[in-house]
Amino acid sequence: MDGVASPFRTPVVALDGPDKVTGAARYTFDVSVPGMLHAKVLRSPYPHAGILSIDTVRAEALPGVVAAVTGADAARLPDPYYGVAIRDQPVVAIDKVRYVGDVVAAVAAIDEETAYRALALIDVQYEKLPAVMTIEAALADGAPVLFDTPVAGEPVKLGGGLISLKEPRPNVLCEFGYTHGDADAVLARSDHIFEDCFHFSRINHFHLEPHVNIARVTGELIELWSCNQDPFVLRSDIARIFGRPANNIRIHASYVGGGFGGKSFCKMEPLVVLLAMKAGRPVRLCLSLDESLLTLTKHAGILVLKTGVTKDGRLTARKSEIQLDGGAYSDASALTVVKTGYRITGPYRWDAVATRAYAVRTNTVPAGSFRGFGGTQASFASESQIDMIARRLGIDPYDFRCKNLLALGEPFRLGDSGIDSDLAKGLDEVVERLGYRQRARSSAQGHKARGMGLGIGIKDGGGTGNHAQALVKLLPSGRAIVSAAAVEIGQGATTTLSRIAAETLNLPLDWVRYGAIDTDSTPLDNGTHASCGTVVTGIAVMRAAADSRAQVLEFAAERLGCTAAELALDNWTVRRGNFAHPLEPMIAEHYGGAGFEFIGRGMVKVPNDPKAPLTAPALFWMPNWVGAEVEVDRETGKVQVVHLVVGADSGRSVNAVACRGQVEGAALQAFGQSLFEELRYDGVAPSNATPLTYRVPLAGDLPHCYEVVRPRAGRPRPVRLGNPARHPGHASRIQGYLTSNSMPGYVRTTPQDYPQ
Amino acid sequence: MTDTVEIAVTINGRVHRLTVPPRRVLADVLREDLQLLGCKIGCDQAVCGACTVLVDGMPVTACTTFAFELDGRAVTTIEGLAAGGILDPVQRAFLEHSAFQCGFCTPGMILSVKALLARHPEPDERLIRQWLNANICRCTGYQMIVEAVRTTARMGSG
Repeated sequence: MDGVASPFRTPVVALDGPDKVTGAARYTFDVSVPGMLHAKVLRSPYPHAGILSIDTVRAEALPGVVAAVTGADAARLPDPYYGVAIRDQPVVAIDKVRYVGDVVAAVAAIDEETAYRALALIDVQYEKLPAVMTIEAALADGAPVLFDTPVAGEPVKLGGGLISLKEPRPNVLCEFGYTHGDADAVLARSDHIFEDCFHFSRINHFHLEPHVNIARVTGELIELWSCNQDPFVLRSDIARIFGRPANNIRIHASYVGGGFGGKSFCKMEPLVVLLAMKAGRPVRLCLSLDESLLTLTKHAGILVLKTGVTKDGRLTARKSEIQLDGGAYSDASALTVVKTGYRITGPYRWDAVATRAYAVRTNTVPAGSFRGFGGTQASFASESQIDMIARRLGIDPYDFRCKNLLALGEPFRLGDSGIDSDLAKGLDEVVERLGYRQRARSSAQGHKARGMGLGIGIKDGGGTGNHAQALVKLLPSGRAIVSAAAVEIGQGATTTLSRIAAETLNLPLDWVRYGAIDTDSTPLDNGTHASCGTVVTGIAVMRAAADSRAQVLEFAAERLGCTAAELALDNWTVRRGNFAHPLEPMIAEHYGGAGFEFIGRGMVKVPNDPKAPLTAPALFWMPNWVGAEVEVDRETGKVQVVHLVVGADSGRSVNAVACRGQVEGAALQAFGQSLFEELRYDGVAPSNATPLTYRVPLAGDLPHCYEVVRPRAGRPRPVRLGNPARHPGHASRIQGYLTSNSMPGYVRTTPQDYPQ
Repeated sequence: MTDTVEIAVTINGRVHRLTVPPRRVLADVLREDLQLLGCKIGCDQAVCGACTVLVDGMPVTACTTFAFELDGRAVTTIEGLAAGGILDPVQRAFLEHSAFQCGFCTPGMILSVKALLARHPEPDERLIRQWLNANICRCTGYQMIVEAVRTTARMGSG
């Protein structure tokens, strides 16, 4: 677990820890607003149907019911649709339902039980329509279409030469295209060409805190207490949907009880606002975990890779055709498709690349962001094929990878930033821990066979051209409040961002508190996702802290009759030569009254670059390495992971223990998907959309030996952090593809980036 | 069928006389009637273990335990674990090992571990993992939790 040494001196203590181990931590789940009603949602039993009529009269007449909303209410909104870039999901189904679980109506009542009873009294007449349940069915000639007319929104903006299309064909939500060189010509010259098709399964986020929101509408003001990961993105959506200026929308965030992307972007929030408006009272909607399983998934997909290799094992070109199952509505598919398409080349060197990626509409649960955002789908297919090719050519998969890995500093793709981690070194460390070189890669004893496999993943971290703002308030006592919009979702943002401020201000860590998030007063960011918390928001916090420090020193210099340059700040004391001047009395003497707050502001914008394929070079790279030894019982088919080693380069960690936690947690999610976890469709509805039948990894599933390494694979580099990616390794000879993941809440930094 | 049931239940050392409808579950009594919000409800069907509390020292899922069953029994919730503000050894071990991330499963997990160590003061690795099967954690990957349990057991103060 020894990564590069932390730039920080003080020991790290999880600031959210005491709240969380004593039960004092408050989540949106725990929020209660005076006079609030409780809502429940009626969902479609059909995968695809027209809504002929909805009668809510009997439901509304039930004692205790205050309001019911349907598509007719949604249709009257200024803009009833949401989604990322492409907006096609109505607040409540309008005229048509598109998957089993689609929201048809909602009721607000004095309690949940009454709301449930009322749902049974709603009469909906449907006209069943033929459904498309798979990618193949959706793309077949003459297939039924989910949308008859173009929907709102724009394709994702990309750099020059790339293709980004909205709704290019029936049932295709969007298309991404990337080419470098002439892939056909290079393939034709290659000694070997391998074409393989990979199917990627559908899983759910399974965050334990369900989707939960409370809305209150008071005059012009719309307030939401939301479990959302992205308060400011949500604020914009609510403003647009309800046609209100954004300064009349106020979002409160609390601790988030797990998200993994499942609480990114708009979900149930506008529906709760609509109910609160109609009811004239605050409304709480807390979905059940069963309903969360019907709210969002990770994209299933079909990936066809055509890869050329020279006879001495050098990769030449790759053509990829990627179809992701976006489900019934856009959600974040448009972004996911871009990331999958862009990451499909893996961390390897190519003479030519040609990629097409699509999100296909089907009558299934919408798919959206999930930890790593398309990276897992890409790595799964890419790394699997790398192993298959190595085996076909009789080359050791380790050697094959090493021969083709991008070198430190080499750009991921033309116009993008250089790889900032020594990928071969990281792989070496994993290989060493696994004992890959010491033992046979595969062996058999009786009906049990063992095999070892490796994998590398890489993700562009921090978002694309991302930005964030932050405030640091220094109170007269030297205690500080850090204010930023990165929500604490378990990644350790509270601690990490506080620590950055504490170090910048030379204050004890426990003098710093991470402020409550309220869009009325908290500075803006783009949302808690894309691994940007430490590196993007962290820089904004660091700058805000430095700004507040400069103000303090200016103030002290004025009081002491010297220049700020002569002063140093240490534990809320100003030092000038051998003399120490405590600040608290100095502030009290000058300001009197309640004293004074030094309010520092900081911001960061990652520069855009028209030459970068995704419009901005990656801020940093998040490599992952995986090694696994797996035992398969050839009689029963039971697969057991004997030894799992996952590695990630977290650079200089601001919060090393959080980094380890992110790697271990993410890798176990991937482990689950590799071996057993799947949201299965048998027919028109998911067959296991219940907590009991949807099987996630348990403690008893842990590999016998599970190690996490954070190799010293990098070089000194500017501040950066990482967030979750999920990238697969492939354990030989089994269907199991172990997907490592990575980590929110770590910073990579060189000391010179921090004010001394 | 009676509309309500009278019960006397000791919660975190204090006796509460409550009048509850027969269908009311413990989780709702704790959260809504007594504002003991550390009892989290995840799946609401005794699968995830987030709502685990101790009844006479045994772990139960509060989401599927009827309140009337608790007449004459003693319930411990996460709020009752830190006596006089001093953390329980299990809580301390969870803190020291960072055995939590989002924290939603943590109260139930800690109480479950408390029950494990009360029955098996020196659990082996296998037993720890098996016991923790009753509590889903989607964030941590369980390793740090297992380490926290090992540490508490070694200190002999579960």
